[in-house]
Amino acid sequence: MFILDSLLIGSLRFVLDKVVQAAEAEMQDDSALRDQLLEAQMRLELGEITDEEFAETERDILAAIREIKRPQQGAISMSPTDKITGVDIDTFES
Amino acid sequence: MKLIFYGGKGGVGKTTCASAFALAISAASPHQESAGRVLVVSTDPAHSLGDTLGIRLSPAPRRIRRRLDAVELDGRRAFARWLRDNRRALGEILEHGTWLDSTDVDTLLDLSFPGLDELVGLMEIDRFARGGHYDVIVVDTAPTGHTLRLLAAPETVGVVAGVLDALQDEHRVIRDQLARVTRGPEAADRLIAALGAQATEIAEWLRDRRRTSFRWVTLPEMMSVDESLDAFNALERAGLHVDEVVVNRLLPSARPCPLCDRRRAEEKKALAVIRRRLGRRRRVRLIPAGVEEPRGLQALAALGRVIADGSSLMAPRRPPIGRKPSAISHQPLTAVTPETVPAIRGASLIFFGGKGGVGKTTAAAATALRMARAAPERRILLLSTDPAHSLSDVLDAPASDEAAIVRRGPPNLRVREIDARRALASKRVELEAALTEIAAAIGQGVPGTGADRAAELMNLAPPGIDELFGIVSVVDARADYDAIVVDTAPTGHALRLLELPDAAREWVQALLRVLLKYRGLLRPGQLAQELVAVAKSLRELQALLRDGTRTRCITVTRAAETPRLETERLLKRLRQLQLTTPAVVVNALTVQPGTCVRCRTVAAAERRSLTALRRTLRRSGRRVGQCAIIQAPLVAPPPTGVVALERWGGMWKLELRT
Repeated sequence: MFILDSLLIGSLRFVLDKVVQAAEAEMQDDSALRDQLLEAQMRLELGEITDEEFAETERDILAAIREIKRPQQGAISMSPTDKITGVDIDTFES
Repeated sequence: MKLIFYGGKGGVGKTTCASAFALAISAASPHQESAGRVLVVSTDPAHSLGDTLGIRLSPAPRRIRRRLDAVELDGRRAFARWLRDNRRALGEILEHGTWLDSTDVDTLLDLSFPGLDELVGLMEIDRFARGGHYDVIVVDTAPTGHTLRLLAAPETVGVVAGVLDALQDEHRVIRDQLARVTRGPEAADRLIAALGAQATEIAEWLRDRRRTSFRWVTLPEMMSVDESLDAFNALERAGLHVDEVVVNRLLPSARPCPLCDRRRAEEKKALAVIRRRLGRRRRVRLIPAGVEEPRGLQALAALGRVIADGSSLMAPRRPPIGRKPSAISHQPLTAVTPETVPAIRGASLIFFGGKGGVGKTTAAAATALRMARAAPERRILLLSTDPAHSLSDVLDAPASDEAAIVRRGPPNLRVREIDARRALASKRVELEAALTEIAAAIGQGVPGTGADRAAELMNLAPPGIDELFGIVSVVDARADYDAIVVDTAPTGHALRLLELPDAAREWVQALLRVLLKYRGLLRPGQLAQELVAVAKSLRELQALLRDGTRTRCITVTRAAETPRLETERLLKRLRQLQLTTPAVVVNALTVQPGTCVRCRTVAAAERRSLTALRRTLRRSGRRVGQCAIIQAPLVAPPPTGVVALERWGGMWKLELRT
């Protein structure tokens, strides 16, 4: 049973890890969003979606891309001391 | 079996010469035995063979008289038939060699593409030749540029066979390794082999002087000579030999007349150049001009005897004109110029179309020159999309693929003659990348399946390429110019050009669908982005073409029966394509006839033809809106160079509605 359990748990963890990795990658990388936008453009040209539907999808995707960009840009604009303080506070709390 | 081609610039009388010759050799004469069973074939997508013979023809050979059949090829129908016979084999190859399933394959095979007429034309002629029903096949070809594409078709078919072979290769390997019993080649293998063999055989046949003869028809005028020289060089480069030059429509000598004398002097000069530059080591045959174009079997048979056995017979005497010229009502006219006439004014894209040789280039050039002169702040482009360009001949100034200022022309006018072969070569890197990406998207895991073979197409100029780059250039030029005046190829191919945005958009959409379907296997990348951009600009172009306030199609014609019949069909098709056709320019009218009987008879015949055109336009105008008639006069010599063109543009007259 132990072997089965560890196999089961091991593979479950592997799958979960992959999901988390993919989710994190998606949150930090806008390429998936860009692909979605391209796909929407393709569907628009094929007449599968209307101009309105495309505009809506485009708005959502662009908002999501901005969302990804914001914290990254925020981190860059912070000064080194700010960052250290933040880490310190985190450390104290944990 | 002998194959005889009649080629030449548009409107020089290829159809007349080919059908007259076919009639003459099929019949026995005192001079000559019959050549046997003869078929006369028209390969011009805008057929006029039936008009000339005065018999309704179809894509299946029809008996015209004893030992003579005639046929007007239909590239699309012929391809559809070929596809029906080979669909399974072709579908199998595409399914074996790509990720595509049978639904994808069916969609792709049902798309239409330009250039079919040229691609299928020779294969069809080959089919008639193999049928064993004929001893001689006389081919009436499309105007110069597209005939060169037609003659290059075997090479294109050879490359297509190579691409299919590469696609089938992988499957063949697997089959050979896994099959327990060795079986013979499949239908797909047989199709590839047959295509390749047919391409090679036709190419050899065309170059065999004992079996194939090329005859070049030209008019005794300098512009025809220049275009003929270019074509001769292209033919010789392809290993094809012209063995006869037919100089058509020479004015017969007659009593002095100021107009005819001037034209005869011009013809004499041109004829000397023809003999010196085109006629060396070739037969030169001179055909006198009749008063009216020879139409119907009787008139053609008489002309045929001149062409076939060289008898010095003059053109058949026409019966005297029954009605007096004064019996024809004179239409009230008002002087206009291209830039002031409402049909043209305000447009940003103007196409000049019509049958070969009616003066499309002259009318387009005069219009662009005068438009530019009248509004110096507007940037005007004069663009030729006819692969047999004549802008530089008409402007008497060099013109090339680079848009350039015309010598002595207005500074805000640029002129460009599209060089599709060069454009194709310059896009080579991009196109190869796209092909590789397509192959990666649909090729069955084999990198570059068929892509490197398909890239060979870029070394050839495949049929349809002129129309494709014609449209691309119009799209590209829109950003840089306020107005574009397009000098198109003769009717059949001008229509292909105008139909192209619809066909191309279907192609792009089919590819987008495939990319979407397989996006799990391959991320839609650069290619998808480019296709989306192309689809968008095609959509805009479709809207532009159908917007009558911005885009106009001006049809140029002559006051004669064959051009009139073609003009009526052209207008009908343009309107089906939802294009605006606000005016017809009737060119080369004998406005001030000379003093001889011939001049007066010609002028009377023109007036009759003009009346018939007026009647048709009025009838159709009730349904689809008015189409004005603009009269443009015949001048001898024809207007050449900036000054003469602008002056000629100032001589246009607009018919007022009565």
